[in-house]
Amino acid sequence: MENAIAWIFIFPLFGSVFVALSRYVNIKLAYPISVLSMAGAFWAGVETLRQAMASPNHEISYLLGGWTLDLFPRGVGIEFRADLLASLIVLIVLGVGLIVTVYSKIHVEKETPNKEAIYYSLMLLQITGLAGICLTGDAFNLYVLIEVAALTGYGLIAIGSNRAAAATFNYLILGTIGASLYLLGVGYLYIKTGTLNMVGIQEVIEANGLTDSATMQVAFVLIGVGILIKMAFFPFHAWLPNAYCNAPTTTSCLLAPLVTKVMIYVMIRMVLTVFGVEFSFESTIWVSWMPWLVVIAIICAAFLALSQREIKRMLAYLIVAEVGYMVGGVWIYNYYGLIGSIFHIISDACMTLCLFLGTGIILHKCKTTHFDGIRGLFSKMPFTMIGFFVGGFSIIGLPPTCGFFSKWYLITGGMVSGHWEYLVVLMFSTMVMVILFFRLIERIHLAVDESGKNLGKGHGDLGLSREQTRFDEAPLIMLIPLLVAAATVIVIGIYNQEVVNQIETFLQAYDLPTGVEYE
Amino acid sequence: MKFFSLIPVIVIGGLLLWAGQDFPKWGDVESPASKSPVSSHFIANTGVDTEVPNMVTAVLADYRGFDTMFETVVVFIAGMAVIAILRGSSVGRPRRKDHEVEAEPDLIVTNTVRLIVPVLQIFAFYVLAHGHVSPGGGFQGGVVMGASFILIALSWDLEKAMSRFPIERCLFVAAMGIVLYGGIGLLSMMLGGEFLDYAELDKILPVSREMARYHAMLGVEIGVGFTVASIMFVLYANLASEGRLKQGL
Repeated sequence: MENAIAWIFIFPLFGSVFVALSRYVNIKLAYPISVLSMAGAFWAGVETLRQAMASPNHEISYLLGGWTLDLFPRGVGIEFRADLLASLIVLIVLGVGLIVTVYSKIHVEKETPNKEAIYYSLMLLQITGLAGICLTGDAFNLYVLIEVAALTGYGLIAIGSNRAAAATFNYLILGTIGASLYLLGVGYLYIKTGTLNMVGIQEVIEANGLTDSATMQVAFVLIGVGILIKMAFFPFHAWLPNAYCNAPTTTSCLLAPLVTKVMIYVMIRMVLTVFGVEFSFESTIWVSWMPWLVVIAIICAAFLALSQREIKRMLAYLIVAEVGYMVGGVWIYNYYGLIGSIFHIISDACMTLCLFLGTGIILHKCKTTHFDGIRGLFSKMPFTMIGFFVGGFSIIGLPPTCGFFSKWYLITGGMVSGHWEYLVVLMFSTMVMVILFFRLIERIHLAVDESGKNLGKGHGDLGLSREQTRFDEAPLIMLIPLLVAAATVIVIGIYNQEVVNQIETFLQAYDLPTGVEYE
Repeated sequence: MKFFSLIPVIVIGGLLLWAGQDFPKWGDVESPASKSPVSSHFIANTGVDTEVPNMVTAVLADYRGFDTMFETVVVFIAGMAVIAILRGSSVGRPRRKDHEVEAEPDLIVTNTVRLIVPVLQIFAFYVLAHGHVSPGGGFQGGVVMGASFILIALSWDLEKAMSRFPIERCLFVAAMGIVLYGGIGLLSMMLGGEFLDYAELDKILPVSREMARYHAMLGVEIGVGFTVASIMFVLYANLASEGRLKQGL
């Protein structure tokens, strides 16, 4: 299929319009239309990745509006570029989107009655925006798509309750500041280079030796800080926990795995493609103090996660810690660190999806996600809990889940680049995750209360009545997406070499230090 | 607290000023931005490529038409998000007293508006259709059109404005605007070009490739106008009445 890359956004865009119109016909149509258009988009994503892998220079360039490079200078029209990195991430975005859309039916009907059409419409546009962010090769178009993703995000969170609306207001302010800083940075880039095309900017920087220019330095700082706010890097994370905890369940399932991860992708794209390796790592001072900021971020986020008594809120702080991992992987300035960072985007999206889908089911069945309300859940819904634990094990980094392999590359990167502080903090954070999840596993399997007092009467007794532990599994429409997500975590873990090969092919074009001295 | 918030303001302000020292000189032909092929292509070839005299319209609706499509989508999202948040959220909550104004529509105001509104609406069409030649286009025309309904709501009441432009139909019209914009893009893709490659429309229109771009630009501007006009009114009606769609300001 020639235009597969265009179908990636055409399917959800038109799908969302038809879903919005379905309220005039029959509101029951909203769900099937959403699932169908997401399935179409996912197929287009697979096709795009296949084409990118097959093409000789491992990328597809798609000139929207027909302003092709052979007839017109680069940058006249808007370019969509799917190199291996972009098509991998976009496939993850679409896959998560498809799984969450299938999963959403019961939650959406219950939590946002009579607003299903608008809810699904916003959801599809959210996925359109995120997929577009991954594919676009134009710095200003990236801003427009960030706005699409952000505005739909505000709507999707605030639709829930009044508390959610209050949390959204914080998110709105911080998100707008982040986007404005990014836009200001793009303005500075444009005044200096005269083009908005990412590859075009890089060419102008190289041809004119703009690496020492004060304007470019400030543009880099503005864009960098804007993206750090958007991805909830530690000091700027304040909007995230409240927004994700008060949002409707499906919203947090969709936003938590994707939004922060896509922003890390944008950072990698800016560092590698727009500014270039030489400018980003050797002409700015970021590279000397970013690893230390990452250390602070991971430690603080890990402690904050440790102090939560509610699963959803704990997971929200885990995301903040994971963001620290990935930012660190980029800024230790090392080939393996960057592989780890990109791989961790993929695996973190999958495992966060697992955890949030599991939490959604717990919320559906138990009406609470507080630590005290989850006793005996394993005997009640074993399959859900297996899916949830696979996500948890992957966050800890147990083989053969994909979290193990991405962390392996991050640690390798920290070692060969000599950033021992990053290595130590990764180990520390892993220990914290072990505590977090085994505390949960203990609560779910054993009969102990807050102070460690035994509630049951000896071996195998959960201290619950027969009623409370009866087998009562989640509805299949929720369980199957969770199990698919859990299977993906394991499959990506087992076939990690395939993924890493693609990332390595992508990174070969960039001159990154491997840290190993060959004589 | 105010003092602490002053610190980042000063830091960022200083940073922005410091960056200014390195800007290209005014009208400097040697700066990379002036040598860039992009702006010079727009200036020299807009008429050749698209037959549109107004360069801004051509850049907006054709060269960077994909941006504009998503800007329209952003407007659409804003309308939907406001409906999603406000509609039904204040059911059962007592209405604040200070919003209630029991007054007959003012004679002078209503008669003035009676005179203005038809002119405003015709002007909106003019701005929209004339965007190829003079400043204007879908966003501006749509805003003027939406403002005319807001003016009716302000001088009479919301019911009167909604009897002219039923609020249930607003979202439909807005969605149609996006379908029109995206549909033109999709049609040109189906005819063998890239998405939004209007030139391919010459296969179904009896005109040259350049004129096909010209006409398609009018089509997408109409789509933008649909969306902007109806969402303007949706935003006003929902915000002014806290989502009740009754009485309003």
